[in-house]
Amino acid sequence: MSVLLEAHNLSVEIANTTLLSSVSFQINEGDYLCVLGPNGAGKSTLLKALLGISKPSSGDITIQHQVVSQLSQKQRAQQISYVPQAHGQQFDFTVIDFIKMSRYAYHTALSDWASDDQDAFDQAIAITGTESFLQRQMQTLSGGEQQRIMIAAALCQQAPLLLLDEPTSFLDPHYQAEVHQLIVKLNQQHRISVIEVSHDLNHAVQHSSSILALKQGKKMWFGASSEFLETDHVHTLYDQQFVFAEHPQTGDKIALVSEPS
Amino acid sequence: MTPNKQTTLFFIALATLVIIAASPFLGMSHTTTAEIQQQILTEIRLPRMLFAFIAGAGLSLCGMVFQAMFRNPLATPFTLGVASGASLGAALYVFLGLSFSFIGIDGTSFAAFIGALLSISFVYYLSRFRSNFSTETLLLTGVAISFFFSSLILFIQYLSNITDSFRILRWLMGSLSIVGYHDILQLLPFVTICIGVVLWLSRELNLLMAGDEIALSRGVNVQHTRYALFFVSSLCVGAIVAVCGPIGFVGMMVPHICRLLIGNDHRWLIPATLLFGGGFLILCDTVARLIIAPAEIPVGVITTLLGGPFFIWLLIKSKI
Repeated sequence: MSVLLEAHNLSVEIANTTLLSSVSFQINEGDYLCVLGPNGAGKSTLLKALLGISKPSSGDITIQHQVVSQLSQKQRAQQISYVPQAHGQQFDFTVIDFIKMSRYAYHTALSDWASDDQDAFDQAIAITGTESFLQRQMQTLSGGEQQRIMIAAALCQQAPLLLLDEPTSFLDPHYQAEVHQLIVKLNQQHRISVIEVSHDLNHAVQHSSSILALKQGKKMWFGASSEFLETDHVHTLYDQQFVFAEHPQTGDKIALVSEPS
Repeated sequence: MTPNKQTTLFFIALATLVIIAASPFLGMSHTTTAEIQQQILTEIRLPRMLFAFIAGAGLSLCGMVFQAMFRNPLATPFTLGVASGASLGAALYVFLGLSFSFIGIDGTSFAAFIGALLSISFVYYLSRFRSNFSTETLLLTGVAISFFFSSLILFIQYLSNITDSFRILRWLMGSLSIVGYHDILQLLPFVTICIGVVLWLSRELNLLMAGDEIALSRGVNVQHTRYALFFVSSLCVGAIVAVCGPIGFVGMMVPHICRLLIGNDHRWLIPATLLFGGGFLILCDTVARLIIAPAEIPVGVITTLLGGPFFIWLLIKSKI
């Protein structure tokens, strides 16, 4: 398996505050990386650096051996797609228009909607099962429905790497499960590499292939997800004691917040 | 594309054509000879109508651009103090007794352009480098800038001699009473450049309306797009303000109504806004001309009378 994305000594400073300090990691094609960490650990900063919203103060990121900061915004968008947090933003578009807008990176000001655009669009709709929403207005969708559309729009961009920023926060358990299943399906059946920022420890351990744990802007742990709960890192990561149990259905080890004694 | 949008655009074009066809003949005195009527038509009414169309289309287009970039229907060059920046530039030009022209375009336009660009930069700086800057604060800043610049203009006017003072007053009222085709040529290049660039960036505008993060992740160079749009809007607003003063609220009402009619896809919204804006200002100007004929009131009075209540309606509706 070949390396898809590599971050090397990545640091981000904004207004003399170090938000991310010398973080290195790499993911291979087909990987599913979960980024864990307490609030303010630099998780969103990492995503913003990958997206080109924040400029790294030192270090670099390469995707498929190209330095990301040297790519144009369109070239970058052909490599990396993005699903933001679901916080009920107002989008004054129909679903169909919103998803079609994701093909921007493949167009110039004068080019028309072509057959490969339509193929990408049809495929994104089919995978996410969003056919019935197409004529709706974005604002009329529930948070969970809107998040599915955001994923469909990101898929329509046909990038090998998908970034998600806490895609299930603010969603009810049903939609959390639905969105998680969709991400796993994209990763396993459609071979899309995923980087997901998450606060859902058990979801990360069960579904992702590797975990990057950040604390105070520094890399605390990076390795295979199955090993994460075998270490003491989970306690120090969140400054919180956890107890462990077996999932009644799968037998996987799950972490529960320890009751104060 | 949906036939629905085509039909809407068709009806907007039709309504504009009706206004264009009817406006020059309204208020024509029947006591004069056919020859004089002919002269009034070709030398006064037609250039004035063309001028109103271009100014209305340009102001509406800039309003549309600002609404999309700030993601708020209340954010327009007028409400954010850009038009007052342009007025201040023009007033300073007159006060300082400057007089130059470049490729046939009067220096007033350039002075107004610089004023507009400076106030846009100021508003943009505030909105960008203070991440906790809310839309309310942005609009209040615009109001403060407008007041500040208005006071400066009054100060300049106070210091000026009577002729300059009158020239300055003429802009502030917002008037379209021009004679001949010369003033049209002052506007046309700037407005054309602005229309061209905005049309070229219509997909980018769509994505900017979805938010900066979305736009960036879809491949838009947000920074460059904003700079280009700010630059051409300043050109356009500056040129219009330099010739006919800050005609208020056109840039707020027209694009918002067009969004309600045709939706937010800028590839449709831009032609709709241009046609509607042009037609709307011709209509307002015709009313301004007729309402107390043979005297006429400045068209800015009409648009502001309509725009004030519209602004309050938007304020209540958008619950900001």
